[in-house]
Amino acid sequence: MSQLHPQRLIKIAQFELVRLFLTKRGLLAVAAFTICWLLVLRYPIGQAVSIISSPEMAELAKQVFGAIGLSKLLDWPEAELAMYWLIALYSFPCFCLFICSDQIVGDKQRGTLRFLTLRATRNEILLGRFLGQVLILAALMAVTLIATLAVMVFRDASLLMHGLSRGFIMLCYLIVAVMPFIALMALLNTFARSARLALVLAILFFALGNIVIGILAWQIPALSVLDYLFPGVQLDQMAGQNSSMFSSLGIPLLQSAILLLVAQRIFLRSSL
Amino acid sequence: MSTLIQAQSLTKRYGSKLALDDVSFEITKGAPVALVGPNGAGKTTLFSLLCGYILPTHGQLNILGQKPGSSALFGKLSALPQDAQLDPRFSITHQLAFYGQLQGLSAKQSQTEALRVLDLVGLTEVAQQRSDDLSHGMRKRVTIGQALIGKPEIVMLDEATAGLDPIHAREVRELVANLSDEATFILSSHDLTELERLCGQVLHLNKGTLTEHQANNTQQQTQHFMTILFAQNYDHIERTIQTLPAVSRVYMSQAKEYVIEYQKSDDLFDIDLLNFCHQQGWRYRHLVNGHTLENQIFTQEKV
Repeated sequence: MSQLHPQRLIKIAQFELVRLFLTKRGLLAVAAFTICWLLVLRYPIGQAVSIISSPEMAELAKQVFGAIGLSKLLDWPEAELAMYWLIALYSFPCFCLFICSDQIVGDKQRGTLRFLTLRATRNEILLGRFLGQVLILAALMAVTLIATLAVMVFRDASLLMHGLSRGFIMLCYLIVAVMPFIALMALLNTFARSARLALVLAILFFALGNIVIGILAWQIPALSVLDYLFPGVQLDQMAGQNSSMFSSLGIPLLQSAILLLVAQRIFLRSSL
Repeated sequence: MSTLIQAQSLTKRYGSKLALDDVSFEITKGAPVALVGPNGAGKTTLFSLLCGYILPTHGQLNILGQKPGSSALFGKLSALPQDAQLDPRFSITHQLAFYGQLQGLSAKQSQTEALRVLDLVGLTEVAQQRSDDLSHGMRKRVTIGQALIGKPEIVMLDEATAGLDPIHAREVRELVANLSDEATFILSSHDLTELERLCGQVLHLNKGTLTEHQANNTQQQTQHFMTILFAQNYDHIERTIQTLPAVSRVYMSQAKEYVIEYQKSDDLFDIDLLNFCHQQGWRYRHLVNGHTLENQIFTQEKV
């Protein structure tokens, strides 16, 4: 049950891409996502430029951004990318909780997983689906990033080369940032009875978990270390470009590995 | 004959409920094997253990020298699990081809294979449809098709003909009979006549315990019993048949059906019996050498 065959792993991950881009329900999700992002591109990202270019607004922005630790972003000549970074960094993790809520639970309830486990190990299914979701998120982020770059180049074509390299680095950071969220949903999928329940559990985990740890840390400050249980703990620091390499990449990768390991242990023992 | 499946002291508990109790058996390559028993007897539990869907509480299970769920069994062991459905978001061919690819076929081979198995179950015309667009019976046949992808050595079908109309149920039986030279089928069904036709070995589960029968009656049985089903009810059948010299006992097993126990030495008893029926003007539906599987199992479950 525990082997990993690369070819089967890739096939399962590829199948997830097909699920989003070639099924009716998947295409509807993509359409809704596209409309939301068209609005984001038209207004916040478009207006980011006018905020930066207007002296009065720039002063106000400096004060606001400085107060919440985002002043470094104002130095970027690619204002659209700065706005994209802020929106994408917080919206994609939330969005991925929704689109990754049914990694295995639907197939488990329907019995489809029984057909699959006669042809792929449980590890391959779990990890393949996780990788598939990462690919989907990466594709969606890449598309929105390209659109943002297009808006930016439309304003000032000279920013293209630098924007491309900054965009690529941003994409890598964003992909790593969403990984623990996808892994959390993979874990919840191993014991939840439906995708909706997995989503509810995720929301409860973040809402109640933060309250409980807040209270515990208030009593015993050392317990604030428990914040690292939550995916996205580093996002605030990342938003202002103030986090270290370990914080931006190490923490989410470590969280993803731990969550997937726990999911794997549960999934191996669960009845199908 | 090579051993395909070996189970030793297999026990499965769900909390305090004992689903399988110290079950041991061996299945060798050859004729289809039947798994029978009343509802809740543990058939699906045993199927699930064989497929690796659940883990046993105690005991050993060995399939082609591997543990259930091992990747070495992919493509060699296939199954139709009870109530399992394909994903309604994809076309049937797309999913069957995907399963083929997981079994190691190329993209092109898997397409051909998907169409081949759909042809086997008579459903090539629905290849591009989604499972939600199909009737219950068609969905069942598609899932039987998925169990035939590649060249499996063991095919387990849990209630394969349940919910199928008589014509398609018969087609599935014919399919199993035709393919039983290539693969060893393990069939679970409540239709004992169907299993009697197809299977050699019968694993009978009742309240988690297992006994074995031979659907094709043993030498001893064929020389002791006949089961006859009459076309209608006649008066004094038991008493009249009892007058035949070789007959030691006659009893009604169910409506219009009688079991006749006779002396082992009478080699031509079946001929004598049919002649006797003809003389009496009794029309019969069928004559079975020995006990029917249904009677064997019913007698045991009543005990």
